[in-house]
Formats: sequence, C-alpha cells, structure tokens
Amino acid sequence: MFNIFKKSAGALVCAALLSGVASSVPQIASAANERLQAVLERGVVRIGVQSRFVPWAYRAKDGSLKGIEVDLAHDVAKAMGVKLELVPIRSSNRMQFLQQGKVDLLIGAMSDRPDRRKIVGIVEPSYWASGMTLMAKKGAVSSWDDIRGKPICGKQGVFYNKIAESQFGAKVMAFTGNSEAKEAFRSGKCLAWLYDSSSIGMDLAMGEWKGYEAPVPTIRENPWGAAVPMEERDTLFGRFLSGMVYHWHESGRLIELEKKWGVPPSPWIAGMHKTHKYNRAYLGK
Amino acid sequence: MLDAIETLFVWIPLILQGFLLNLAMSFIAMAIATVAGFFVGMMLLSRRAAVRLPTRFVNTSIRNSPWLVVLFIFLLALPFEVKIPGFGVAFIPDWLKATIAFSLPVTANVAEIVRGAIRSVPTGQTEAAESLAFTRRQVFWKILLPQCYKRMLPPWMNWYALLALGTPMAAILGVQEALGTAQEAMEAAGGKPEFLVPFYGFLLLLFFAYIYPIALYTQRLERRYAVKD
Amino acid sequence: MFEWMAPAFASLYKATGWNFIVFYERYEYDRFVDGAMLSIGLILLCLVLSIVIGVLGAWAQGSRSRAIRWGMGAYIQGFRNTPPVVQLLFFYFGFGAFVPQVDAGGYYEPLITAFGWAVISLGIFGGAFNVEIFRAGLEAVPRATVEGAESLGFSRLQIYAYVTLPLAFRFCLPALSNNLVSLAKTTSLAYVIAVPEMTYTLNQVWSDNVNVPEMMILLFLFYVVVVSLLSVFLGWLERRLALSGFG
Repeated sequence: MFNIFKKSAGALVCAALLSGVASSVPQIASAANERLQAVLERGVVRIGVQSRFVPWAYRAKDGSLKGIEVDLAHDVAKAMGVKLELVPIRSSNRMQFLQQGKVDLLIGAMSDRPDRRKIVGIVEPSYWASGMTLMAKKGAVSSWDDIRGKPICGKQGVFYNKIAESQFGAKVMAFTGNSEAKEAFRSGKCLAWLYDSSSIGMDLAMGEWKGYEAPVPTIRENPWGAAVPMEERDTLFGRFLSGMVYHWHESGRLIELEKKWGVPPSPWIAGMHKTHKYNRAYLGK
Repeated sequence: MLDAIETLFVWIPLILQGFLLNLAMSFIAMAIATVAGFFVGMMLLSRRAAVRLPTRFVNTSIRNSPWLVVLFIFLLALPFEVKIPGFGVAFIPDWLKATIAFSLPVTANVAEIVRGAIRSVPTGQTEAAESLAFTRRQVFWKILLPQCYKRMLPPWMNWYALLALGTPMAAILGVQEALGTAQEAMEAAGGKPEFLVPFYGFLLLLFFAYIYPIALYTQRLERRYAVKD
Repeated sequence: MFEWMAPAFASLYKATGWNFIVFYERYEYDRFVDGAMLSIGLILLCLVLSIVIGVLGAWAQGSRSRAIRWGMGAYIQGFRNTPPVVQLLFFYFGFGAFVPQVDAGGYYEPLITAFGWAVISLGIFGGAFNVEIFRAGLEAVPRATVEGAESLGFSRLQIYAYVTLPLAFRFCLPALSNNLVSLAKTTSLAYVIAVPEMTYTLNQVWSDNVNVPEMMILLFLFYVVVVSLLSVFLGWLERRLALSGFG
C-alpha cells in the first residue's frame, strides 16, 4: 500500500513538473467508512462499468448505458437509497479510476487476480466467472497449440494476452477496444480473437458470427470481482457490497439477468446459486 | 454497404453530440494555451538567464514529447478532484483533464509564436523608441505588440486547427467524443466490418468540414498580413 | 547491458517500490528493446516516405496538367485538415480490406502489416505538409538561376533535380525540420492499430505490472531523447547547408 502511495506521489511530482503548476494531492481516505459517508452526503454513487461490452455494459442508441452490470449497478444504488452515476471505464484504466476515487465502486467485468487484490479491494463472493478462449473461423484452430507463432487479436489491458504470448507463443496484437480488435479479426488480420469466454459465447449465440466457432476449451476460468477502494474493503462499504453479491447469487438475480439479456447459461453461476442457498428449514413452513 | 450507411444515420445524432465535446475541448484548451503561452513567451524573452534558460528547457521538452504521451500522463497521474480551500471539492471529469493535457503542448508552441513574433520586429524600432524615452513596458505594449499581433494570428490559427484535429486522441483514454462515440456505436450495432469505412469516413468528413474553412481563412490572413520586403 | 543493470534496478524496486521492470526482468526487457527499435524504425521510415512524397508532390504541383495540380491540392487539403488518428484507423481498417492478401489458413498473411499501414498512413500525412514546404522552397529559388540553367540547355527534369531542388531544400530546411520533428512525435499514434512501438509496449507493461508512473516517465523520456536527437541532427544539417547571403 505504502509503495503505491509513494509512487502516485512521484507521478504527481512528475506531472506538476511537466505542467509547471502545482497540482493537488488526491484525497486518500484515512478514516474508515469515509467513502460510504461521502457517497451518502453526495446522494450519488459513482459506479464504474464497461461501455463496449455487449450485453454486460454497453452504450445503447439513446446514448445511455445498458446491460447486466448496469442492472447490478442500479441494484446497488437502490439498496443504498442514492442516485446512480455510471462512469464508463476501460479495462486498461479501471483500477486507476478506483484508486484515484473517480469511481466509488467497480462492477467492470474484472477478473479477480492476486496482483489486482493488492491494488483494489475486490470483495467476495464474485458475481460472474469466465475464462480465456479463442474465436476462430471454423476449422482453422483445433487446440491452443495451434496459435504458436501466429498473429492473434486481443484487447489492451487484458491479462490473457500475456498468457497467450508466454505460454502458447502467440503474437498478440492488442487493440484499444473490442470493436477495433474484432474488426481486425473479422477482416482476417489475425488467426483468432483472444478474449473472454462469456463475451465470445455471447457473440456466437447472437448469430452475427456465422462460420466462426470457439474451438478450444476455456482455460483459466476465473471469477469476476466487484471492487471498492483498497482501504474500504473491510469497512461497511466493502461488507455491504459483499452482501449485495451474496444476495444476487442467493436470490437467483444473476440467473434472471442471464435470461433477460440472452446470455448462454453459465454452469458457474448455477453452481453458486446452489451453494449460496441458506438453509431456512429450521424456520418451518 | 447500404445497410451500414443506414446504421450510420441512426447513430449520427449521437456522434454529432460527441463532436460538440471535441469543439468544447478545443476552445477551452486554446483559451488556456493563449493566455499561458503569452506569459511563457515573455519568460522566453526575459533578460534574466535564470528565468529564460529553465523556461526554454521545459518548453522544448514539452514540444518534443508526443501529445499522446502527454495525454496519458495527465489522465492517469492527475487527481480526479481538487480541494479548493473555502469552496469544497471540485471534480475534474476526464474530458477536462484531456483538455488541460492538450493545452500544454499548444501553450509551448504559442510561447514560441510570441517569442518569434516579438523577435521579428527590427531592433531599430526598440532602439528608436528607447531614445524617445519610452519605458521598456511602453515599448512592449505600444510598439512591439501592435505589430506582432498580425504576425501571430495565422500561426495561432494553425495551432488551433492542429489542436482541434488532435482532440479525437482523447477517445483512446475513454472520453466520449466523436471518435469514441463512433467506436461504441459500431460495437453496439453488431461490430460488422462493413461499418468501418462509412463510420470512419464520416468522421473524416466531419472534421474536414469544420477545419478546412479555418485553414482557408488562415491562408487568406497570411497573404494579407505578409510583410512586404 | 541487461546483466549489467538488472541487479541495480531489482534492488531499486525492493528498496523503494519503483518498479522499472523492463530493466530487470528478461521478458519485459526484450519487449522494451523490441519496442524501442520498432519505434525508431517507424520514425525513420515515416520521415523518409514523407520527404519522398514532398519532393515528388512539389514537382507535380508545378505540372502543366490542371488535373494533376488539382489532385495534389485535394490530397494536401484532405490530409492536413482531418485528424491523423482517424486517418490511421481509416487506412488500416478501411483500405486494409482491399489489399490483396495470402490465405495462411484461417487468417490472411497481409501484404501490408499494421506496421506497414502505419508507415504509409503517417508518411502520407506528413508528406502533405512537406509538399507545401518544398513548394515554398522552390518558389524562393531566384528566377534568374532557373533561367541560367535553361540557357545552358538543361531539361525541366534536370533543372528540378540539379538546380532548383538542392537550392529549395536548403531554403526550406527550417520549416522542413519542424515538420519532421512533429511527424516523429505523431508516430506514437501507431499505438491505436496495435503496432508494438514504444507507446504500445509500455502500455502493455504497465497494464501487466501495474507500474503506471514509472513506465510513463520512461515513455516521456524516450520520446524527449529521440526527438531531441532528431532536432539536434536537423539543426546541425541546417547550419552545415546554410547558404551565405540567403535566409
């Protein structure tokens, strides 16, 4: 923790030198529950969501953000009794946004990884899960080993890229957004599109990708964590979010959202729904 | 192709809304750069080496770094909110951070314009004015600046055009301006490859329609104000 | 080089938390070096292409054919007055689809890679400015010099190649070096089409290792050094080629 603060202070000094003006030091919460209080005082909770991730969180024609994670964000704001402000984030900047306090919490399709847990307060349980997989033209790829030395399209800021490069020897071309990466893939600039199994499953189910398939087994299946700032993980704010996620599993809300948005049912979510059932038998009928 | 153009038309209103943000960013950044550049330009002309040399070093470094890099630094390293004593906390949205980032290289270049324009006035004029007992300040405001203003206008407008053309870079960091909105629209509409030419082509036309008249006007000014030898 | 500095940077990380991973971990170091080489290559190729376009374009602008002159004008205005980042995306995604490619089993080995498109797109962009710069240089060549060459029996092409161009080049060098420096900086935009140059590489490094401030400082220094070296070289060239009695 200390290192991170020291480093961001270093960056600030650097920015101040560059701009020639003194910039203010970001507010770092010292007292517990500061964030929760700030949210309540503001009357608005700022939740970071993706903006180009159909159907988890994407921009609709009227300009508003829609999707599964947006619905979850509404649930959170409703439970807190405050207004919701959705902040579009990118995979490459979401943790910085949370660190800087630009968003109060993050429901941003973020895999729960040990290195990320050192930076942001990822709460348990996780709300979704997916792994890395490939989409390719039918018959072009049959196993993960087929991508050795081949160009693969990916998205910047996604940790699958490094695995594909170091473990499978692929040449990953990472683009700034899904749309650019998929365009590059569809126009044949790479052998496969390396991304999240949930998103690829969705694309294939939507029927926009006839003649393509997800030919390799999903590996590194990893839950997605909702997150609060690091220092809030074990305070009221983090515990509240844990409760929200637990309730989503317990009540079947996530299964309901899968159906609402037409996502292929995930065995992981079905399993969580089962294991997170509280046994109320002792209450009788 | 026709399908793609139809899709484009559905999204044009939203893209134009994004374009308004490009305009706002370019106006604000230019205003900041003009004021700041004027002062930095003065510092570049300072008689004191202790002021002139560090200013020149910083100015040159900024002019030598790519806009994209400056943009990264500002978006990731600047705080999202600033505490102003007595006023509470001011929130700095992304587009404003990008605007401040864009204003920095433009400031450095406006400073060069100011320095160059003032240096271009023959020194005989300053000497003549000084011999007429004008103070240094009077020489600057009454003799140098009125002549420089006309020389500075065309390059200043050139920099405005470059700035406006740079604003779509903010999309890379998630600002919802014209380019960012167009990319989101393509994704939301199913991400078909046939969208690419019409959507990016439309953006090119949009910027051209705005910048080309400015460029023409700049050329006219350049010709009109050209100092005849 | 790597063995020599790795321990120092590894202990810097341990002691202070400043994580310059590209200087102590082999994998990231290789990425960094590749990125740096690619950036420098990209800059050089873009500069060369833009100068070639500038020279040919300025020649074409003096053409007797109105269609050619009009075409050059449209090219210059089209590229000068649209955002380079959109140009790059348009070239790569838009034109990329129309270029012949070799089926390599599931994907196409393109004749023009992302790097190639970056060179083409940025070279053409920079070239649009160079044409105008060279034309201004050509206009500054005294009429009498050209007439002298004509009276010696030089053809139009010979006059351009041996008399006007070398002189024009010297006249326009200050403006040219400005534009070349600005083009060198613009090459960082190749990042948006996934060309693994410096901006792209350090971006990957900082998202894999969450050491944003350190890598950002490195990125800033890289460009400041490369661009400063370029402008020092061009300044030296200017002084070297300066003609006494002109400028």
